[in-house]
Amino acid sequence: MLEFGLANRGFTVALVIGLLFCGMATVPALSALRLPGNDQGYSPVQPIAYSHRLHAGELGISCLYCHQGAESGRYAGVPAASTCMNCHQFVSSTIAAQRAEDEAAKKEERSPKRVISSELKKLYDALGLGSDLKRVPSKELKPLAWERIHKLPDHVLFAHGPHVKAGVSCQTCHGDVQRSERVRQHSDLSMGWCVNCHREVNRNGVDGKPVHASTDCSACHY
Amino acid sequence: MTAQNGEGMEKRETNRDSGHRLDQEFGEPVFTELTRRSFLKLTGFGLAASLIPGCSRGPSEKLIPYLDQPEGILAGKATWYATTCGGCNAGCGMLAKNMDGRPIKLEGNPGHPISGGGLCPIGQAMVLPLYDAQRLQTPIIQGEKSDWGKVDREIRDSLAKIKRSGGSVRFLTGSLTSPTEQKTIQEFLSDYPGSRHVCYDPLSQSAILDAHLQTHGVRRFPGYDFGAAEWIVSFDADFLGTWISPVQFTAGYQAGRILESESPRLSQHLQFESRLSLTGSNADQRIAVSPEQINQLITALAARIAAKAGQSVGFSSPSLKPDHKAKIDELADSLWKSRGRSLVVCGLNQFETQVQVNLINHLLGNYEKTLSLLKPSNQCQGNDRDLAFLVDEIEKGKVSALFVLGVNPVYDLPGGEGLAQAIKKIPCTVSFATHLDETARVTRYVCPVHNPLESWRDAEPIAGKLSVTQPTIRPLGKTRAMVVSLTVWMGNKKEEYQVMKDTWRTDFFKRQKTDSTFGRFWDRALHDGWVEIDSPVRASTDFNMKSIQAVPKDPVISADKLSLVLYPKIGMLAGQHAHNPWLHELPDPVSKIVWDNEASLSPETARKFKVEQGDRIEIRQGEKKLVLPVHIQPGQYDGVVAVALGYGRVGTDRFTRVGPQWLESLPTVAVGETVGKNATLFLSLSEGRIGYSGSEVSIRPTGEHGELVTTQIHHSLSVPAGLAMKGMPKRPFVQETTLEEYKKNPESGSHPVHPKHDLWAGSHEYTGHHWGMIIDLAACTGCSACVVACQAENNIPVVGKDEVRLNREMHWMRIDRYYNETSEGTDVVHQPMFCQQCDHAPCETVCPVLATVHSSEGLNQQVYNRCVGTRYCSNNCPYKVRRFNWFDYPREDRLQNMSLNPDVTVRSRGVMEKCTFCVQRIQAAKSESASSGKPLVDGDIQTACQQSCPAGAVFFGDLNDEKGLLAKLKSSPRRYRVLDDLGVEPSVGYLRVVRNRPEPRGVKHHD
Repeated sequence: MLEFGLANRGFTVALVIGLLFCGMATVPALSALRLPGNDQGYSPVQPIAYSHRLHAGELGISCLYCHQGAESGRYAGVPAASTCMNCHQFVSSTIAAQRAEDEAAKKEERSPKRVISSELKKLYDALGLGSDLKRVPSKELKPLAWERIHKLPDHVLFAHGPHVKAGVSCQTCHGDVQRSERVRQHSDLSMGWCVNCHREVNRNGVDGKPVHASTDCSACHY
Repeated sequence: MTAQNGEGMEKRETNRDSGHRLDQEFGEPVFTELTRRSFLKLTGFGLAASLIPGCSRGPSEKLIPYLDQPEGILAGKATWYATTCGGCNAGCGMLAKNMDGRPIKLEGNPGHPISGGGLCPIGQAMVLPLYDAQRLQTPIIQGEKSDWGKVDREIRDSLAKIKRSGGSVRFLTGSLTSPTEQKTIQEFLSDYPGSRHVCYDPLSQSAILDAHLQTHGVRRFPGYDFGAAEWIVSFDADFLGTWISPVQFTAGYQAGRILESESPRLSQHLQFESRLSLTGSNADQRIAVSPEQINQLITALAARIAAKAGQSVGFSSPSLKPDHKAKIDELADSLWKSRGRSLVVCGLNQFETQVQVNLINHLLGNYEKTLSLLKPSNQCQGNDRDLAFLVDEIEKGKVSALFVLGVNPVYDLPGGEGLAQAIKKIPCTVSFATHLDETARVTRYVCPVHNPLESWRDAEPIAGKLSVTQPTIRPLGKTRAMVVSLTVWMGNKKEEYQVMKDTWRTDFFKRQKTDSTFGRFWDRALHDGWVEIDSPVRASTDFNMKSIQAVPKDPVISADKLSLVLYPKIGMLAGQHAHNPWLHELPDPVSKIVWDNEASLSPETARKFKVEQGDRIEIRQGEKKLVLPVHIQPGQYDGVVAVALGYGRVGTDRFTRVGPQWLESLPTVAVGETVGKNATLFLSLSEGRIGYSGSEVSIRPTGEHGELVTTQIHHSLSVPAGLAMKGMPKRPFVQETTLEEYKKNPESGSHPVHPKHDLWAGSHEYTGHHWGMIIDLAACTGCSACVVACQAENNIPVVGKDEVRLNREMHWMRIDRYYNETSEGTDVVHQPMFCQQCDHAPCETVCPVLATVHSSEGLNQQVYNRCVGTRYCSNNCPYKVRRFNWFDYPREDRLQNMSLNPDVTVRSRGVMEKCTFCVQRIQAAKSESASSGKPLVDGDIQTACQQSCPAGAVFFGDLNDEKGLLAKLKSSPRRYRVLDDLGVEPSVGYLRVVRNRPEPRGVKHHD
């Protein structure tokens, strides 16, 4: 009869060695490990393949043009479809595609059609617009449902306004959004990350401008 | 972790230590020894368990922006609408806070001509009925859900029939302050010759209107100005609590009681009453009398005033008890000296008595000074005589169509059952109820109306002051405003917005001069919530001396019987708020009873009948009987039993499972029962008046004991008797003095602070803000509006009757009420108590996980996500203001959850919570100030309790702001801190009570 008990020295040695091996085997995967609730790097597919690189980077549209809430409100906000339409009532596809159509129309001696890109069609569908970008009454209005990326737990209350006012750039927390095709969560949004930045700016200011960033619990938890 | 193979079995059999087979006794031993297999299983499980949450993400959440962005709407930012409270007829101005499209909090509208910026507990709780899942959503025909098309067809058909046959149409409403509704009803009724609009109040003051018709030739309810009166005498009128317009009267009352000024002045307030009302508890002097004696006292006072005025009257002073006689003599002298600056009010619904009250006010020259018939009130219009006539008509089957709006006659009138049978026989009956109430259950049609927060409406509570009700959300159900229904039945459908705007355009626009165009006038009304218009009222005639008559002698109550007093409670009034759990759980300001109505007896009477607190007694009057638990009420007149109206409403068993459901929990109300009992059976509707008090009843103990749940001794600050050191003086929580003493020595009434023993080295340094609060106890009436305001603002759950019984109510703000027995009666003081935000906080010291820590601005922060629920902090708190979440309180009603404040975390089970000085408002204001660049000033931050206080007794601000109000009040000689000698350095101060009475009485407070 064989006994495996903790009193058995052989067993203990085997156990420790086994554990060491197990540990070593997990080392390469450790970088992928993170605390529960940490969604750093989360980058879901959005209903429309909207490119921040194109809009914010190439075209240089200010972040606040679409995310007005960031300046004064709590949430930066996702722009309403009507905001997109400020430009996209004129621009419905790439200029190359429209030029090609114009050329083709010229050749075929007909009036050119409006070219609508497949992604922008989703926007027009949401607004119930037809191919001439006029409202089609029979079409149902369907608000766009974007995937939420940045999410704080319910017991954390964060307001964009004071941060933007203090001069913290969007990129500090959100990374180089203007270079990314699809938005991903840049920071881990953990409490340590928040508090470290608050401590840091209390010492050095934001771009040299002295600020008071509270490190009281009730700055965020209430 | 079971080992089913041979090895494991063998192992257990050879367990040497236990000496016998463990598995026989305990089944499978699980972790007695670790086998290789179980170890590996555990390891694998543990590893997997730690990896799973790390890799996964919660359910994906959608962000759904507008398709078309409305202007001025920003997610997470509140918008405010000025509207009018629909809780009673007072017509207080409110600001509705809308968050992401739904109203979540109601606040007083500062500068509103009626309420002046405060609200009462009912006003604060009015957001909840909007999200009531039991509110009627569709019209009903004979108990079956129906649709508007069918209802309209049927009603129009039967109306056409009535028109042809010349049948009588009756419209029964409560006091209707809305001019638009009045006008529409008149238009509707004008189609039916002989039809009538009958108006009654379940808490009737019809006698005041009738008396003015007799004495002044106009049936009007006077507008009272308590602020202009130096002498206020109230005979059984609870004007600070439940009478007519408490918020307005409280604001007025406080306007005559100014202490923080160069020349302090206090009105004198004398209250004669038989039970202990909120108003009585605030009076400078209070005399407990029986309802019969009130009549005699008024007659005696009238006779003395008439003699002073040289006016002969047709009655003489009755013989009074010697002490009453002396009091009345003295009072007559004082009132005569304050002619034109005094006010006598009476809450008895008795015509002859009210005529004499009018005589007193007339002879004292008070008309158009402290009470006005030229600026009359519309808040009370009921006519008991009309009502009695209508009830007679209904019972005799003379009515062909009955429309009921805003009242519940089957419930709130005596003989409701008989009335219900009679109503069922009327061919066409329509109820405009919001719930399937007692009356709606017997009417043929129910045409549910909107909640006040969903509808357009107007109100003219005081002549010339027009207040607007505007919708803050689209109707949640298929409800329809009464005026729309009437226009449909008149054959010309108009939306209520249009009806109201048309009325304003044709009737009111020309009666003002401020705005040149109607558009501007309308916009101003919607923005401010009210406008002032000219209100020409017919002058009253000269005082008709011939109308004065002696008060008929009351029947003498025999010695073994009691005199019954029926009264409204502050949250329930006549029962219209029976579906509001916040108001049920609000402790009554005086008795502190929750979720029940009770039979109050004085201690002497309770001894006489050998009953104790909670014993059930049977109250009997002829054939009518009612069994209620006894509450022993100090300060009540011996020989009186007081019972609250407004309870026993049908459908209140919905609150059976309102609290957490656990093994030993008891239901808040038994299935099929009601919250409290309906006492309207003792009302009398005879001689053209509803009688509330003075009828003779007998009581008999039933031998049963019912649990009467009161928060009276919960969270008491007193040292328990067993723990108090010998000779230790009672702790003086409330300090008080008299005006005379105060004028001589502003610090009079203070108690010496014992040497402080400070366990904390050094003090906190506050370089920025230091938040603090001051409560003016001389102004606080104990009305409890702050309690509900705090509940609404801070997502405080309702816990139900049984949890309150177990001392587990969750209100962050409580109002401690202390009695003080003196030779002259019972004094009452009210002291709001909430987290005192101590600088040397005992709670912070003992928290093992640093879940409660000090902020750089002087707050004791409570970090819910860090709290593990040891409850050490609560144990160590000398003020007993911390509340523990024993459960995840029911939040299953998703509709009701709409009223939650998204700025405040909903706490989960096992977490401690407490007042935070509304830190969410502090943060919002700081954020706003950072965004706009404007520094914070006094008044930028108002806590929920402060905003709601109708008496202006709560001050919040920055103690570091030297020019601010708080710094000024901090140096007031009246300021003291509760339990100051503990050395915990609270940031909350209290201003001493100052009463305007001859000499100080001994101050001995007890719970």
